[in-house]
Amino acid sequence: MSHRYTGLSRFMRRVVAPLGVSLGMALTPAAQAQGDDIVIGGSIPMSGVFAFAGVGIHAGIGDYVKMLNEQGGINGRKVVYVPEDTGYKVDVSVAAFKKITSQNKVNLYYGDSTGFSKTINPELDRKGDILMTGASFATEINDPDKFPAQFLVGPDYTEMFGILLKYIAQETPGATVAFVYSDTEFGRDPIESSRKRAEELGLKVGAEIMTPPGSVDVSTEVLKLRRARPDYTIFHGYVLAPIPEFVAQGRQMGLKSRYMGTFWTMDNSTVMQMGENADGFMGVMPFRYYYDEEKAPMLEKIRAMRPEYQSTAYMQGFMAAMLMTEAVKRTLDEGKELTSKNMKAALQSIRDFDTGGIIGVPISVKGNSVPVGRIYRADYASKKMVPASDWIILD
Amino acid sequence: MRIATAKESYLQDEALFDSRTQRVWAALLGLALIAYPFMANDYWLYLACLVAINVASATGLNILTGYTGLVSLGQAAFMGLGAYTVAVMEHHVGGFFLLNLLAAGVVAMAGGIVVGIPSLRVKGLYLAIVTIAASFLAHFLFVNSGFTGGTGGMTVPPAQVAGVALDTSFRIYWLIVPVTVLMVLGAANLFRTRIGRAFIAIRDRDISAEVLGIPLLRYKLLSFGLSSFYAGVAGGLWAYFFRVVTPESFPLIMSIFFLAAIIVGGMGTILGGILGAIFMTMVPEVLRILVGLLPVSGDTLQFVSPVRTIVFGLLIVGFLIFEPHGLAEVWRRIRRFFHLWPFRN
Repeated sequence: MSHRYTGLSRFMRRVVAPLGVSLGMALTPAAQAQGDDIVIGGSIPMSGVFAFAGVGIHAGIGDYVKMLNEQGGINGRKVVYVPEDTGYKVDVSVAAFKKITSQNKVNLYYGDSTGFSKTINPELDRKGDILMTGASFATEINDPDKFPAQFLVGPDYTEMFGILLKYIAQETPGATVAFVYSDTEFGRDPIESSRKRAEELGLKVGAEIMTPPGSVDVSTEVLKLRRARPDYTIFHGYVLAPIPEFVAQGRQMGLKSRYMGTFWTMDNSTVMQMGENADGFMGVMPFRYYYDEEKAPMLEKIRAMRPEYQSTAYMQGFMAAMLMTEAVKRTLDEGKELTSKNMKAALQSIRDFDTGGIIGVPISVKGNSVPVGRIYRADYASKKMVPASDWIILD
Repeated sequence: MRIATAKESYLQDEALFDSRTQRVWAALLGLALIAYPFMANDYWLYLACLVAINVASATGLNILTGYTGLVSLGQAAFMGLGAYTVAVMEHHVGGFFLLNLLAAGVVAMAGGIVVGIPSLRVKGLYLAIVTIAASFLAHFLFVNSGFTGGTGGMTVPPAQVAGVALDTSFRIYWLIVPVTVLMVLGAANLFRTRIGRAFIAIRDRDISAEVLGIPLLRYKLLSFGLSSFYAGVAGGLWAYFFRVVTPESFPLIMSIFFLAAIIVGGMGTILGGILGAIFMTMVPEVLRILVGLLPVSGDTLQFVSPVRTIVFGLLIVGFLIFEPHGLAEVWRRIRRFFHLWPFRN
């Protein structure tokens, strides 16, 4: 008999108990928001290849929500932020979406990638009660007809190129530009449309060079760049590599081109990783940098909350939360129900909106985007990005 | 307690479920799968569908790697072929979704046979490297073919049954799970046939298999073809499930995921492929739920989240060290315990 009980208890101890506890814990719903709370769900890449941005986005959304709740929420309704880590994988992001929306009455959502946005939008259309934004600036998403429940926090990639090209056309009319981009959906996104835009602005596209993302040996491509002798070289579809290699080898070969990047390259810490080659690197940035000295009450609040440097991804998350909650506020003020259609209409009614200085000019939502940005230039001596232009608003 | 299973005929000897206990449990599992969508919320239904797709693909890889001994890192590419076939068929041909799924399997099968040709000359790690090429070739094809939508990929309309769109997890469950069950049963049956036995003979010693009269060319390519067919159908289900297919949807890491699934689950057993796919899909989710139960929020969450990845990695390493035969062996031990229970085993 003792054997019998020993065997059974050993089995219970080794298999059934841990399994039961795990299942019990797994099936226990997480803490839920209260009835009339405004819920912001988030598929946030706090681990994985995009964690460098996800951590900032998470902090930015969290801080704005905290600030808003301290001021009484939206018309007295508390805002609750429910994030889940995704590791920057589409299937995990969708699982996070399903988990959050199953456990909460979600009104607003932050998605972590273009792939996720494209996957989840049919579901948003079917649900009809969630307004979404995210880390994607894909041109494809800037289409209110195809993506009626989504918007971009800033310009799309084509518009980013548009801002850069507008600046180049003003600074050096008739200049030759080169596009260097990664062989990804992200990298190829603005190239075709920007080629046309460059022609319209009287610029010459001297070279279009495609590389694998994150490639290291780019000697052949640098030679192509040298042959084209562009006045400006715009990189897109990378975070950093292979940009430092291009800049370093280009300078060694005596290339006088000015190098430029788009949003995800432009964080202060990313650019400064290039070392001395960072000096003079330029790019488009829809938001102010944490340390900008121009008058910006919201930046002062952020600096009071967080004395250490906050990334541009933080600003993006902060602005995302600001615009999403502004759409909710306008919808509630009009006495309308919080449907994605009403919230999107409220969002698109935003004209000359003051962001407290996060963006240096009053902004208006056009289509699904906010087509405004500024050119910043790296000053390696002070290890800071400094303004190189005024704010540029696209028509 | 089960003492033994007396088999009085060849039919009984060949049966897939050879005892009443097995048949009862299989029936209960079937009933549970039918009842599940009515009890689970959207999140758990989504996970069930994702697990089922991964089970189908892992089972296919198990046929090739677990049973035939041919290592492949091209499973994701074949899934991609299947997914794109469904997307293209839906856009340009329309047609019944089951036919599209069949076409997905056939196209992937053709791709698998082509990629499998070098398996006649190379084995092991060398073959794995050859199959990696499939990923790059498929990616190139998806990006540059005129009809695949380029880097932006393609959206896939939902499958339709009698005018009803299978556009929710609840509805598509009734497509994905039955197809997966059929595929798993098909694979289980395969190894009771001459073809399956030939695969096993090739795995155990290909030269001996040839001496026994098994044509290596035919059977190795057949194994590649069958495995890719499974991947293609799984890819087709994936396309109907996510409804967006892009060249970046099926990266090389996905092939490694499936290889890890069958290693953790137990190579060369049907149950291993199933358990491995469940483990690899569900453990990160269960860890997410456990992390969610911790009293952490705000900035702390960003430090806790990567811990999940570490724990997941450690669990895989732990399994490989302490149970190299995989989860299927753990399951067998549990079954043996109950066979002899209440007596000590």
